[in-house]
Amino acid sequence: MAMGSIGDTLWDVVICGTGLQQSLLALSLSRSSKNILHIDPNDYYGGAEAAFSLQETESWVDRLATEDKGLFRSASITKPDVAGLSFPRAYSLALAPQLIHARSELLSQLVSSRAYRQVEFLAVGSFYIFKTPLDPEQQPSLVRIPSTREDVFSTTAISAKAKRGLMKFLKFVLDYDSPDQRDVWKYFADKSLMDFLQEHFKMDAELKTYIITLTLSLDGRISTEDGLFIIHRHLTSMGHFGPGFAALYPKWGGISEIAQVACRAGAVGGAVYMLGAGIKSMATAADEIELELTSGDKVKTKLLVRGDDSVGDEPIISRLVAVVGSPLKSLFEPTIEGAPTPCVAVVALPAGSLTTSGEANTYPVYVFAHSSGTGECPNGQTSALTITTSDILIVLSSIKPFCIIHNMLGAKANWKSIGVIYLSTMATSNSKEILSRALESFLSAVDHNQVPQCLYQLYYEQAAGVKQSRLDGLTLDLPGPSLSLSMDDSLLQHVREAWKKVVGDTVDDAEYMVFTDREPVDDDDYE
Amino acid sequence: MADTNAPKPSSSVKLVLLGEAAVGKSSLVLRFVNNDFQENKEPTIGAAFLTQKCNLPTRTIKFEIWDTAGQERFASLAPMYYRNAQAALVVYDLTKPTSLIKAKHWVAELQRQASPGIVIALVGNKLDLTSDSAGSAEVSGDGDDTAEDSGDARKISTEEAKTYAEEEGLLFFETSAKTGHNVTEVFTAIANAIPETSLKSARGPGASHAGVSRTEEQRVNLNGPRDANAKEGCAC
Repeated sequence: MAMGSIGDTLWDVVICGTGLQQSLLALSLSRSSKNILHIDPNDYYGGAEAAFSLQETESWVDRLATEDKGLFRSASITKPDVAGLSFPRAYSLALAPQLIHARSELLSQLVSSRAYRQVEFLAVGSFYIFKTPLDPEQQPSLVRIPSTREDVFSTTAISAKAKRGLMKFLKFVLDYDSPDQRDVWKYFADKSLMDFLQEHFKMDAELKTYIITLTLSLDGRISTEDGLFIIHRHLTSMGHFGPGFAALYPKWGGISEIAQVACRAGAVGGAVYMLGAGIKSMATAADEIELELTSGDKVKTKLLVRGDDSVGDEPIISRLVAVVGSPLKSLFEPTIEGAPTPCVAVVALPAGSLTTSGEANTYPVYVFAHSSGTGECPNGQTSALTITTSDILIVLSSIKPFCIIHNMLGAKANWKSIGVIYLSTMATSNSKEILSRALESFLSAVDHNQVPQCLYQLYYEQAAGVKQSRLDGLTLDLPGPSLSLSMDDSLLQHVREAWKKVVGDTVDDAEYMVFTDREPVDDDDYE
Repeated sequence: MADTNAPKPSSSVKLVLLGEAAVGKSSLVLRFVNNDFQENKEPTIGAAFLTQKCNLPTRTIKFEIWDTAGQERFASLAPMYYRNAQAALVVYDLTKPTSLIKAKHWVAELQRQASPGIVIALVGNKLDLTSDSAGSAEVSGDGDDTAEDSGDARKISTEEAKTYAEEEGLLFFETSAKTGHNVTEVFTAIANAIPETSLKSARGPGASHAGVSRTEEQRVNLNGPRDANAKEGCAC
């Protein structure tokens, strides 16, 4: 179909937007014989899940300042007056730095569709809690959360009594959905997991914080039902694809990379791609829609699938992305023999652990620290003659601001290794300050003797989108992107429904996302 | 030469093919991958993906080749292909001057948008249509001017393209996908030019460079969930 004019074709489906959901739809249809036109009003791939170079970040921030619509707002870039950044293109800052648990349905679909071969998956390492010292003279520290029974057994961070409580809880969670165990938590299903842990396991505040951190709950008030589901997923994901890690992160920008890989599969399958083409106007007839695109083209389609980018009811999160001039090496040590070197570490700064102008943080702040192994920042090599240091990219997420701090030391010709840090927290009136404070506190807890320098920061806020898909005649609106810090599999169901809508009822559901390799593959390559 | 019995480290390299329509991009890949050639090949629609290994003395490079459609009208595919690509092969037809202009456009685009360390090879294809295509004649690029034999369709001199490639720091070859001339050489030269530190997943005991061996330990294999009974990773 690609040879004729796009206006001459009656498309089976026009997909608008290249965020994760729309891209997965393109992947799911990539072996069908459907005529697919895949457009995006942006001049980049990935939508709300994009990953940007520093140049792209700048133009994104500029555009938000003038357009001020959609799910993103209050974006700003801060560049401390220090040298050290590499080429702007050497960075790939992720708007949605989500972890993907090994047991996520997304990974099963990427494997069955063979798309996973194009993705380089990295291990997410340990989860840590930021601990403020009782004595203000002391430095804050990061305590690793024991999340396997072996871990609990060997940890020295908690008391023997707490160990017993934690062991009991871990054992319970592994079997939490059995009829017997359901009775135990049924009453608490919609109530706070915190309350359940208190009532049933008599956990102290510290232990409860450990458990809540594993859920990555942005407001810290996750329900018992959701929380147990997530912790169960975490525990059963541990070791699933190898020892020592429960979650994965795709190299080069996380979910963004998956969206791009899915679009490439769509293109190989014959879909036509157009960036910089949004929908200007549409007219619906009985069995087709005529679209006028912002590119000036007019196209006709039997179905239009869009991403809904209107603001939903859920809270807003604040995010801070920072580039720092330190490899933060201590965070990326494998904890088990034979485990891959992790490229992502998770740190929670619990509610109440940070103070700005006399006010403590109401909500936890989650820090995802990324090493240069993620490909999101350069690896800090200066030249062939000098020693390689590694880089760190750190992003902090808070329910309100999302900021990028990009930090490199030294002159361009001699910049140091860095990392990227992503921080997230719930948006509040002071969440921007909270995230700045969280970043400082985190960096000094990593190494208080030589606090890593911050080279670049991006702050922004992201509102939750609508949660449901909506079919209106020939137009299907997919829900907004997830604010979750780990991949939310419930979104996948909407993609599947959209696929069904396109292929029709005669196609067996079992065929969804099940493809053979287009190329003969030697599996030994990767062993 | 290394011990040939020892497994060599193997790395994947993402390579994107760019160039005007009908210059022979897909044919070059077909020659490289299958050692085959099709006259009057259908134009590529959308995109294609192929893989091929290239054995070097000290390592094996597995090319992941993204072949874009030259007639692609919206210039929307290339950005997703050259993102994170470690190598690009920019092809022109040495019998068609406009195709070199288009190739220069792609080179500029790559220099502006692609990864800073990308290895770019400029390739003039369809050498079989020129008079210097005879048999195994080497394309020396030493300025042997194109002969004025009848039937020489060459419109772009070796010198012109070579000078441009040198100015821009590109690898340069003239090839014939039809005869196979210089095709393997292009890919081998690219494989040799990829800096070891940018190799994304070196494997095997030969990966001695610190940066490489670190990368090696990072990649997680999703080739089916691991057997819970299998002794994982650890050989001790």
